Amino acid sequence: MATDDLTLVKRVRGGDQRAFKLLVERYQRKVYAVALGMLKDKEEAMDVSQEAFVKVYKYLDHFKGDSSFYTWLYRITVNICIDVMRRKGSAGGDPVEFDESIDNDLSEARIGALGSRLGTNPQKSALRRELAEKIQEALAAVPEKHRAILLLREIEGMSYEDLSRTLDIPKGTVMSRLFHARAKVQKILSEYLELDEAKSGVGNE
Amino acid sequence: MAGNPACKSFVPLLSPYIDGELSPAERVNVERHLSACRDCTSRAADLRAESALLRVGLEMAVDEVDFKDFTQRVMARVTPERPPLLERLRISLSELFLYHRTAMVSSLATAAVLVLVLVPLLMRQSDVPMGYGGERMRVRAVRASEGATVAPVVLESEDGSTIIWAVEQEEARPADATSPKKQAPGHDDAQDELDADESRPVPGKDSRPKGGEL
Repeated sequence: MATDDLTLVKRVRGGDQRAFKLLVERYQRKVYAVALGMLKDKEEAMDVSQEAFVKVYKYLDHFKGDSSFYTWLYRITVNICIDVMRRKGSAGGDPVEFDESIDNDLSEARIGALGSRLGTNPQKSALRRELAEKIQEALAAVPEKHRAILLLREIEGMSYEDLSRTLDIPKGTVMSRLFHARAKVQKILSEYLELDEAKSGVGNE
Repeated sequence: MAGNPACKSFVPLLSPYIDGELSPAERVNVERHLSACRDCTSRAADLRAESALLRVGLEMAVDEVDFKDFTQRVMARVTPERPPLLERLRISLSELFLYHRTAMVSSLATAAVLVLVLVPLLMRQSDVPMGYGGERMRVRAVRASEGATVAPVVLESEDGSTIIWAVEQEEARPADATSPKKQAPGHDDAQDELDADESRPVPGKDSRPKGGEL
């Protein structure tokens, strides 16, 4: 039943509105997830998601079939998010590009804290739920470009190749940004874990 | 990463490692280090946990959102003007079929029953020979006795009077119409009256020739 993206795009170009409807339905959740991860605000994320699809429709003729449709869609989504953040003057997180300074982030809070607490207890522990809710807060501390890359990687599972094409940056930059974004999120979550442990008196494993 | 200085070069590789983005040679290298370094093994586990957490966290947030009218709102914004009438008709018909299938089937069934009942009725009504005033009068009954060579045509005019025409089966010539035979089909009346309405004219009595009016 699933028609591939490019076939649907062709049909939309031929005037088939329902084909576009299918594309919207296919990607709405993921586009929203990216927007929410970027902006943290639910309503803004919803507006941006709709805006992204409207823009995609409007500029469909500019879409060259040489990359995948979703790459293009996410690029538009991320760009709108960044515009929104700029307009609000809250570019979010650390404005410093720390791509070159890998050492900065190696001051880890506690190695293995996340993995050991969550790894053994995979699906639906209360802790996981709690931390999952913390995620958006942690994301907000990550610089916008790093955030975008982390979200696209985790939500869409994009390969480094796709990420490099979507965001128009070299693969090496993809790798280092991901590394930094993860280190940052990790640090925040670990701190939260430690706080949690101190509070509840556990944590001397 | 306290003790092992080798970790320094491996730590940045752990992120692409868990993403499966290292070259085979690099991967072998990292795995060799991991088998000897507990810290880096823990770091890799942390990264995996974080990655899963992020996904779960956002999925949870997305699940809270109702996307029911998301598509509609987008479509409303990308549809420049109202689509042509035919298109709209087609869409609403196809949607009708998609979403109201049961309702449609039952109404189709009703329509079919109506057609089955009405069509024979209408067919009967038009059973009057040409030129006998069938257009202007209501047909009460048309019935031929078995083996008869004439077919009676019972008409009721607007003023309530009843006319019975007897038409020859073989050749119904309009010339005969001016002098209809008074042939009341007696034994048929009982059945005819089943079709007749409240006013029930008695056919035999009232059958004066009224050819002039026709």
